[in-house]
Amino acid sequence: MSLKSYSRARAVHVMLVYTGGCNGCDIEIVNCVLSPKFDIEQYKIFLTWNPREADVLVVTGPVTKHNKEPLKAIYEAIPEPKAVIAAGACALMGGVYKNIHGDIPSEEICGPVDEIIPVDAKVPGCAVRPEDVLAGAVAALPLLLEAM
Amino acid sequence: MDNDNKITDETRNEQEIETEVPMGTVHSAALEPYRIRLFVEDEIVRDAEMTIGVNHRGIERIMEGLPVEKANSLTEKICGICSNSHIWNSVLVAEKALEIEVPERALYIRIIMEELERLHSHMLYLAHGNEVLGHETFSMRLFYIRETVMELLRMIGGNRVQYGVPVIGGIRPRADLNEMRIQRLTEGMDFVEEKITDFAERFVADPMIMSRITGVGVISKEDALRLSATGPTLRATGVAVDLRRDMKEYDPFEFDVITQDDGDVKSNLLMRVLEIPESIKIIRQAIKALPEGPITNRSWEMQDVTITKSYIEVPRGKLYHSYSLDEGRVRNVIVRTPSITNIGAMEHACIGNHITDAQLAIVQCDPCFTCTDRAIQIIQL
Amino acid sequence: MTIVDSLIALMAVIGTLIVAFAVSVWLPGIERKFVHARIQQRIGPPLSSPGLMSPIKFFFKEIINPNSPMPGLYNALPFIGIIISVLLLLIIMPQMYFFATFASVIALVGLLKVEEILYMFMGSLSKSVLSINMPFPDVVKGAKHPNVPRSFFEELSSMRAFRLIALGSFPIYIAIFVPVAMAGSIFLSDIVAYQQLHGPVLFTIGGILGAIVFFVGFMILMNEYPFAILKTKADVIEGPLLEYASKYRAYVYISRGLLIFVLSSIFATLFLGLPPNLLSWTILINIIVALAFTIIMAIVSAFSPVFTYKQFFPVVAGVSVLGVLAIIASFL
Repeated sequence: MSLKSYSRARAVHVMLVYTGGCNGCDIEIVNCVLSPKFDIEQYKIFLTWNPREADVLVVTGPVTKHNKEPLKAIYEAIPEPKAVIAAGACALMGGVYKNIHGDIPSEEICGPVDEIIPVDAKVPGCAVRPEDVLAGAVAALPLLLEAM
Repeated sequence: MDNDNKITDETRNEQEIETEVPMGTVHSAALEPYRIRLFVEDEIVRDAEMTIGVNHRGIERIMEGLPVEKANSLTEKICGICSNSHIWNSVLVAEKALEIEVPERALYIRIIMEELERLHSHMLYLAHGNEVLGHETFSMRLFYIRETVMELLRMIGGNRVQYGVPVIGGIRPRADLNEMRIQRLTEGMDFVEEKITDFAERFVADPMIMSRITGVGVISKEDALRLSATGPTLRATGVAVDLRRDMKEYDPFEFDVITQDDGDVKSNLLMRVLEIPESIKIIRQAIKALPEGPITNRSWEMQDVTITKSYIEVPRGKLYHSYSLDEGRVRNVIVRTPSITNIGAMEHACIGNHITDAQLAIVQCDPCFTCTDRAIQIIQL
Repeated sequence: MTIVDSLIALMAVIGTLIVAFAVSVWLPGIERKFVHARIQQRIGPPLSSPGLMSPIKFFFKEIINPNSPMPGLYNALPFIGIIISVLLLLIIMPQMYFFATFASVIALVGLLKVEEILYMFMGSLSKSVLSINMPFPDVVKGAKHPNVPRSFFEELSSMRAFRLIALGSFPIYIAIFVPVAMAGSIFLSDIVAYQQLHGPVLFTIGGILGAIVFFVGFMILMNEYPFAILKTKADVIEGPLLEYASKYRAYVYISRGLLIFVLSSIFATLFLGLPPNLLSWTILINIIVALAFTIIMAIVSAFSPVFTYKQFFPVVAGVSVLGVLAIIASFL
């Protein structure tokens, strides 16, 4: 393993963006950062609130109309290489908010996330379990390691 | 208290404001997306404007025309923190409208769920408050205690966040309490009580934290009543209002209504710390007096009813649901959550404080914008 | 001095710099893993991650243009910070004492001032996406005060950096003058020589008080909790450092670790009479002091919330008074 890959695997900075879900996923993700039980730092993953520092963007929620542009802006602010994890049912396919009408398009929801920005790893669940978030972050790692 | 430097609608003057500092929608102190514009003069907040609507998903419109059972489970998705409150109140509306008798045992288990939810919500509030204060260690301690409550919720409801325990006429069969679950609940409550007492003692004895939170973000009693604050935010200003006192579900239980006097961040934080033992008390009483019998009443019939209303007390204040039933489908849904009436108090609490305390002043009202945003219509201007 | 002597001295200087650098990359890891994580009852990150692997990772990231009116200057600032740290370290090395005019306390104070001023420049040059630049329709019809000038929250940081220069850095400068008062000279060589004769300054009453004041000043200069008003998470997130990406952020990481080592070496020089010198066994004591500073700083920061001006100024004033007492005690 080269020094590049090794250092990337040993320090991953994660940024969280909430795009208007029900708060359930948000709090479970905060839980796996701040709770000593899950303690994301032992997997060499650090929380940051600054897109310039981040490697991995964790997005929750179905991306409401007002959140579309901020999400794009934050995604563009992250320097390469970067990975995006969509966490939760809403981020994956719009959740109940988008799909409950059947074929009628939703006026409020612009999501799911992969229609706005490219998504690399998907974490299912309503709400996501903290263990799954950790697994998702690890699943996004190879992308970072192999990037130029 | 010190209201001299606060700006009211009459005295608002453009000259007094130097600059505007906008924050959000992504910010380290906010758990949810919202935009706040702080108008500062030498780092003192002179005025504040909160722009919500970022979370708007139009839940009430989605619920329109759904079968009532489906609509009930959808209300859970309004908020991930107080999901049980929403589904409980929504079920209560249907039960009130259709005049359904609910078995005693189901009522007790609903109360246990609601109080467990209050526990986890209050601990999340305290943890978030400490995170905004900059005290990472206390925040982590509280998340550690909260984890026990989350495990208990998962044990009863099967999921860590949205449990879906109440259904029309009773509770879901999965959520019934057996011997083993009661045992674990008892142990969990003992653990939480011991740890939270320990935390409270250390929290109150910490001079640095006390100096940070005393006298910050003051909402006076008059202002709180004028701005229609509700729930713990109102109680922290000295108004002993708790809807649980008036709800017939809570009649068998003994508990105290906690009030504080000052309406500042300290009062609000201590308010939650002191409410946690009351919730534990209610859960213990419910476990002890848990009646035997069925958990669901299935002998009810669907009819058309006009708009029915229901109010309950949830961790953040007073929650209102109302809808009418038409051929088994819900119509005219209105949900009013406690955070929307607290927004006025949040903006008011910011004013006159240092900008670092402004976020703290917002957090002290326990904002939940995912709840709040569902009711607002986005109008193209 | 013969050529051989000068060569040995040069090697010693370079060797000391390398040792300083090698130690400083482990300090953030020690802070995070052994202190914060231990106090917070969790496992915590590996020792190398926060201080060593993070900067290396940032060197391999894409270089982007920061949102700044002067991107070149903005990106150069953290490197200037590193240079100043290196200069500070050079000044206190015994091999450099023959530059008598530079190897004085005045030069130390001047360089530390420059270190602080960097934050002011950073704050006014950073224009992050997280504030005004966020594409969100907030000034709309019916909004409050639509015509008020808008500012980035880094500008708040810049204003706070200015107040730090004006007031917040008093403790460290007062503490620096405690050994000066005892030795009766502003030259580092005299201060070190005085302590070799009379024993370390630290073991006198004035010295103990001075050490406490120095430590508080050190924490203010490091912007650590509870004095982190430049980068409070509650309002300015990371403040002046918001726009640094890729290798420039790596410099930010490195300069933080290096500054801990440099400031603790200054402490060892002024209060223990042991300047960092590779040719002597006392470099071990320098390293131990650096570790001790890191650990005590981490313990204090783990147990304290962030201060606002309401707490910050009384603490600075109280500590400054203590520093004045220390100077008076050192004259007695």
